Amino acid sequence: MTIAPPVVRTAPPGSNNAGGSGSVSWMAWPALIAFTLFGVVPLLGVLVLSFSSWTGQTTDIPFSGLDSWRTVLADPDLPHALWVTFLIMALSWLVQTPLSILIGVFLAARHRYRAVLAVLYFIPLLLSQAAISITYKALLDPNFGLGAGLGFPFLQQDWLGDGTLALGVVVFVVSWQFIPFHSLIYQGGVRQIPASMYEAAQIDGAGRIRQFFSITLPQLKYTIITSSTLMVVGSLTFFDLIWVLTAGGPGGATQALAVDMYQRGFKANLMGPASAIAVILVLVGLLLALGLRRLGGRDQADSQLEGA
Amino acid sequence: MKRRNFLTLGAGAAASAALAACGTSGPAGGGGTAKAGEASYWFLSGPPGESVRTGAVERFNKANPNSPIKPTAFQNDAYKDKLKTALGAGQPPTIIWGWGGGGLKSYVDGGQVEDLTDWFGQNAAVKDRLFPASFGPATINGKIYAMPAETVQPIVLFYNKQVFADNNLTPPQSWGEIMDLVPKFNAKGIAPFSLGGQSRWTNMMWLEFLFDRIGGPSVFGDVFEGKANAWSNPLAIDALTKIQDLIKADGFVKGFSSITADSNADQALLYKGKAAMMLHGSWSYGIIQAQGGSFIKDGKLGYMNFPGVDGGKGDPNDTVGNAGQYLSISSKASAEQKDIAKKFFTSLLDDTEQSDWIKTGGVPIIKGADAKLASSPDADFLKFVYGVASNAKVFAQSWDQALSPTAAETLLSNISKLFTQSIGPQQFADNMNAVIGK
Amino acid sequence: MATMLDSRTPAPVAEKPPVKARRRINPLQWNVAGGLAGWLWLAIVVVPIYWIAVTSLKLQDDYYDANPLALPTDPTLENYRFVLESDFARYFTNSVIVTVGSVGPAVLVSFMAAYAIIRGGAGSRFLRTVNGLFLMGLAIPLQAVIIPIYLIIIRIQMYDTLGAIILPSLAFAIPLSVLVLGNFIRDVPKELFESMRMDGATEWGTLWRLAFPLTRPALVTVTIYQGLTVWNGFVLPLILTQSPEQRTLPLALWEFQGQYSVNIPAVLAAVVLTTLPILTLYVIGRRQLLSGLTAGFGK
Repeated sequence: MTIAPPVVRTAPPGSNNAGGSGSVSWMAWPALIAFTLFGVVPLLGVLVLSFSSWTGQTTDIPFSGLDSWRTVLADPDLPHALWVTFLIMALSWLVQTPLSILIGVFLAARHRYRAVLAVLYFIPLLLSQAAISITYKALLDPNFGLGAGLGFPFLQQDWLGDGTLALGVVVFVVSWQFIPFHSLIYQGGVRQIPASMYEAAQIDGAGRIRQFFSITLPQLKYTIITSSTLMVVGSLTFFDLIWVLTAGGPGGATQALAVDMYQRGFKANLMGPASAIAVILVLVGLLLALGLRRLGGRDQADSQLEGA
Repeated sequence: MKRRNFLTLGAGAAASAALAACGTSGPAGGGGTAKAGEASYWFLSGPPGESVRTGAVERFNKANPNSPIKPTAFQNDAYKDKLKTALGAGQPPTIIWGWGGGGLKSYVDGGQVEDLTDWFGQNAAVKDRLFPASFGPATINGKIYAMPAETVQPIVLFYNKQVFADNNLTPPQSWGEIMDLVPKFNAKGIAPFSLGGQSRWTNMMWLEFLFDRIGGPSVFGDVFEGKANAWSNPLAIDALTKIQDLIKADGFVKGFSSITADSNADQALLYKGKAAMMLHGSWSYGIIQAQGGSFIKDGKLGYMNFPGVDGGKGDPNDTVGNAGQYLSISSKASAEQKDIAKKFFTSLLDDTEQSDWIKTGGVPIIKGADAKLASSPDADFLKFVYGVASNAKVFAQSWDQALSPTAAETLLSNISKLFTQSIGPQQFADNMNAVIGK
Repeated sequence: MATMLDSRTPAPVAEKPPVKARRRINPLQWNVAGGLAGWLWLAIVVVPIYWIAVTSLKLQDDYYDANPLALPTDPTLENYRFVLESDFARYFTNSVIVTVGSVGPAVLVSFMAAYAIIRGGAGSRFLRTVNGLFLMGLAIPLQAVIIPIYLIIIRIQMYDTLGAIILPSLAFAIPLSVLVLGNFIRDVPKELFESMRMDGATEWGTLWRLAFPLTRPALVTVTIYQGLTVWNGFVLPLILTQSPEQRTLPLALWEFQGQYSVNIPAVLAAVVLTTLPILTLYVIGRRQLLSGLTAGFGK
């Protein structure tokens, strides 16, 4: 295959600027207005509340300075919740990414039966949290669930009663729901790779595995970043599913930040500390988003053809 | 520069939005969304209560077409979130359905609900026909803030008569007998007790009874009153140790922490004979009747009050559970809406509603309701519930309802840890002492 | 995205991309690891779905009677009748209105904003601030801000309308959409913008004629992702509406759950009914969807 010389970028990425910005600025306004009204204003409200000792039930808001922050930052539950959030994020990324890529590659080939599979894969995405929680709680029941149904004793574990297992269940169910979506993205990504690259590799005598690692994977780089962004940022606000499956239990083993916040704010009537946790969540999300954007934004001019 | 201005503006707007909750009653048509001359009423959806509640509202609206009540039903968890948001935003419904106790106290502290003491004073007839015990959770600091309503729901020890008969065993009369039964049932491959431990409050019922039977009502009473280190009471430690002894002896069905109560898998274990006994609310009767086939008809369901603990200070006649459900009036409501609500209160638990509740297997909180029970096909069970409720010197409220929401949440998460044995009795007491009075 | 490599083709790329040839990608036809993962995953996906379908045909009474995976001895459509009689069609329509009404505009305004940020971000402090704001918004948990949102909705007199769900859903879809779309637009070779500009195209024209076709995969991805989020959203409909006329499907599902117990077969029947129309839509539109995901810039 002919390889054209890499495109030389004169400007660093992110400065794709055509000149005066006045001509494009207005395009940002509709999004800005919508987001300000329902995102920024409420968020600032939360910031204000983090300096209060509001119970959420009174009509006046007693301000208490840094009390909520002191409570939250001194609470050993906070590092624990951060750790659990990180674990869920990392584990679900580790489970979802390789499987999604493999399935995406598998589905990319044009076989009729694979199209049928793709339809089946899609179903979990459509189910609401209530449906998923009811289904999994029923299937994981030690006496009437899947273990009993299939007669496999190893499925009759104390799934939601053991901390490690419960965390595993959360990661599994998240993956169960979202792998189909990410496979779909990868399927699209794989189909974009020009067949000529594989042909060239075949001529060079590269094996299948070599082709996967030297062509497919590097070519999917930006797909991986997009899909990872959705996974990582999504897992931060991933609250509903954990709440309905384990409510943060057993004994706090699945108490992620968002769950902790909800429990304090809506269950324990401590809106101050809950708001402080919400602010922490937003900061963590901001850091992650910046990091991911850096990954997505840099290195664009790198040759992606090494090994081809 | 621009940015700073922008942020300042934003902060101002947010603060004013947050402050909009303060003082002003908000624009007409908020959360309660009742028009003038109409009162709103939010309550729990789902069988069996929803149809009875709706029926009561419909009868009231028919009799008072000019001052109707607009009912809205919500599922349990959804209801709690929805109500909290509405209260926080200063837009609650006129009539608030609730559980009394600590939740009600938090409304009182926030100035959200009407003091009904005087109203009950003027309308003695309304008050006198209800179970006196039902007023406990409605009374905060000596004043009545809610109208007790609906049914009494004590926690009952259910057992499978068939399983006991097949194994020549008799239901336990004391804690010692319970511990004796455990290895016997386990040897037969039958779980001694069914438990939906994933739901947490199911575990709590065990502690409520053990605390009462071992130490009497004052042990939890001290906690409730906010006495320092009340959880470290040796009698409390004894109760906490006893429950962990039962767990260690495999008293509960294997994997109980993975069983949820809302799927009724715990009930199924009992009526399928996989477990011999189950401690659960009196509403279980209705569930087993609906799902357990002919189990009840065949007379296989046994029930009794929780037995005493040898040497314990508590009275085995005492019980715990829900002494009623509670309706409060929002202090945000207009005078007209408040009048409608009060009028509605006087219409509650009329003969039709009483028989509706009896049909669902509930005992209305009306004195002398036992006379109506005899004609029901479930007369035996209903009379038993009536007996428990009327014989109990102390009808303790469920802990998670009695305590403040803050303490209740800590309690539930520590109970979960206690039952999975990740903490011991002493650690449990220490964790709980930290939130006493909060 | 992978469109990057296209900039290396020697042909002047600003021209209309050549129509994709439906080439068979031979190396992918036979893929052991992928096949293994694919079939294994199929089993994992299908078992719970099979359970949902089978259980929805059972009565609540005999739900615990048999093996959970066994076919019902006495299949019944009673649950479906029950669900359909509970005003299912209205809830469904509401869900469609809310999803379409929020995701459509959200993706559109996000696309415009992403374009503006990428094109003008370097020279405009304002746009960089806006971008920072959106990044911050990525991790706002809905539960945390629900009370202020509730207050705003009441203020603007929209409580208990479908619009009350649409507006915040729209706003919350923006940050992630801007991020993903921005990443795509950034990867469009700068030369293409240059040549558009030299042809005298306005930014508005460039947005639609250059950026739009090139970011189609991202637009499809974002639309599906946000669409599913809104479709399954529970918190906003719960807090911001009240009357049964405004109920969406996830809210309606909870109707079958009582305080102490759940009518599991009825809930599952509702789940099946909720899922089927969307699945049908997916089966029909799959080809378009995939070509949308695949269509980037010519091969």
